[in-house]
Amino acid sequence: MFHWLEKRPFFFAVGVFLVIAFAGLIEIIPDFAQASRPVVGTKPYTVLQLAGRHVYIKDSCNACHSQLIRPFKSETDRYGPYSLSGEYAYDRPFLWGSKRTGPDLMRVGEYRTTDWHENHMWEPSSVVPGSIMPAYKHMFTQNADIETAYAEALTVKKVFNVPYDKPGMPKLGEWEEAKKQAMEEARKIASEMKNQDVKDAVANGEIPEIVALIAYLNSLR
Amino acid sequence: MNWLSDNINLLALIAAVVIVVLTVLVAGKYIKQMKTDRSTGELAKENWDGIGEYKNELPSGWAYTFLGAMIWGLWYFAIGYPVNGYSQIGEYNEEVAVHTKMFESKWANADRQTLQEMGEGIYLVQCAPCHGIAGDGMDAKAADLTVWGSAAGVLDTIKNGSKGLGYPMGEMPAGLLDGDSAKRVASYVANGMKGEKPAEFAACAGCHGVDGKGMGGMAPDLTKYGTPSFVADVLNRGKKGYIGTMVSFKGRLTPIQEKAVGTYILSLSRGE
Ligand code: HEC
Ligand code: HEC
Ligand code: HEC
Repeated sequence: MFHWLEKRPFFFAVGVFLVIAFAGLIEIIPDFAQASRPVVGTKPYTVLQLAGRHVYIKDSCNACHSQLIRPFKSETDRYGPYSLSGEYAYDRPFLWGSKRTGPDLMRVGEYRTTDWHENHMWEPSSVVPGSIMPAYKHMFTQNADIETAYAEALTVKKVFNVPYDKPGMPKLGEWEEAKKQAMEEARKIASEMKNQDVKDAVANGEIPEIVALIAYLNSLR
Repeated sequence: MNWLSDNINLLALIAAVVIVVLTVLVAGKYIKQMKTDRSTGELAKENWDGIGEYKNELPSGWAYTFLGAMIWGLWYFAIGYPVNGYSQIGEYNEEVAVHTKMFESKWANADRQTLQEMGEGIYLVQCAPCHGIAGDGMDAKAADLTVWGSAAGVLDTIKNGSKGLGYPMGEMPAGLLDGDSAKRVASYVANGMKGEKPAEFAACAGCHGVDGKGMGGMAPDLTKYGTPSFVADVLNRGKKGYIGTMVSFKGRLTPIQEKAVGTYILSLSRGE
């Protein structure tokens, strides 16, 4: 039998795959469908939060920050309850990350605030002496890409049935509506900020990246 | 030079000598064998571009180990893993339960010094990014804890008012008293409302009650001002005040930890 396999590389490869995949299949498959359902209370991101998420990805925050709290006492003490698969149901892609140069951010919305993020993103060492996190001053002048965020939200709504516009879920609606709503959220955040340029920009109907990013960070709970 | 008097060095040296000797002997044996040996045994039928393979029997030690591993594997797939129902979360829950029990019995009656040290550790991780390592609020980015909780802190509150703790009474207006009368009330409140009550406290009694206890939860209980239990109250409520937003720590610290961090931050303003 093994001689037969040895002479047929294709079937040999299939056999190897089955043997290696077996443990994975038996451990992952039975639980997978259940565990990847959204946890009660998990909501899709609003357009402004999605735009902030794009900033997060664009500036590679996930190179230094994870978003996955493992079930160890040392982690839950510091970052809050451990993560559940269902909490990532609306994350496309998820941002688990694989490296913690800085702390985990899975629930940073629970213990940091708009005004703190404003100081920290402008100059991290102004609040955490000796911080090696880079400053992100450009976010205070560049505008966030709300159009792309809307396009993404609309796409996942249509293709994956993400429950926008359902009762108790964020509203999406038409582009004009969505834009108005994003502006409104942005104004709320800007009202808690101190940077005058940002306040002026928001008053003029623009949304600087920092506002979208803070909306996203505040939504991480 | 007496580096050989160290056991570890001596053992390492002996081991190195043994390894060298063994390597030379074994390598020598096989090199000699390669020079003289002729291949024996039956060839398998297959032949890959002129390369053949002997049909050697598997050594029995190997074979039994392999069989044993297979049996264990089947047991594990069918019974060991699914029936025992190991889960990481279960292990986590057990670990946390054990830790919590130990933590609580170990520190239930911790003295001030211990609480203060524990509190400093918690403070540096959880609070310092906002309040600063020294607790000074870093240029008014957060409450100045070197003042809050002392008579000067009460004076500050009387001067500037206070809002955002979410009491039914709502906000406390600024400037209810000034000058010496404010100072007298401040030091009276900061000392736990013991001693003679200054007449000016009447300005506060309307909301905090004549006894200062907050009229059953309508306003903060001033008799607790400057104690860890007042801090614990702030931690549970959070505060959206004139300075900024203090997040709520509800459920994130145990009662002992709240007491510890309260003891620590109050030591900052009271100069202890
Ligand atoms: C070079 C690695 C690096 C990158 C890139 C980086 N950070 Fe950080 N971050 C850190 C370090 C180190 C800390 C801890 C020190 C501090 O708080 O500044 C930190 C802390 C933080 C904190 C505070 C978390 C806490 O629990 O106190 C937040 C929020 C944060 N970073 C957000 C971001 C965002 C958003 C980005 C992308 C725009 C980003 N970081 C990019 C290294 C990085
Ligand atoms: C109008 C009602 C009212 C009056 C009068 C009043 N207080 Fe208050 N006080 C409050 C309320 C409500 C709060 C909680 C404020 C908050 O949410 O931050 C408070 C909070 C406080 C605090 C806690 C502040 C902190 O930093 O947590 C102190 C101390 C205090 N009051 C002292 C006084 C003193 C002393 C007087 C008299 C001069 C006084 N109050 C008069 C309603 C009042
Ligand atoms: C996200 C930043 C942040 C963190 C983290 C934080 N604080 Fe605060 N804290 C604030 C701000 C801002 C205020 C001022 C609120 C105001 O009065 O406007 C404040 C106020 C306070 C006050 C005064 C409350 C009052 O009644 O006036 C105390 C006490 C306090 N913090 C203790 C702590 C302790 C203890 C911790 C850690 C367990 C902590 N804080 C963590 C931001 C923070």
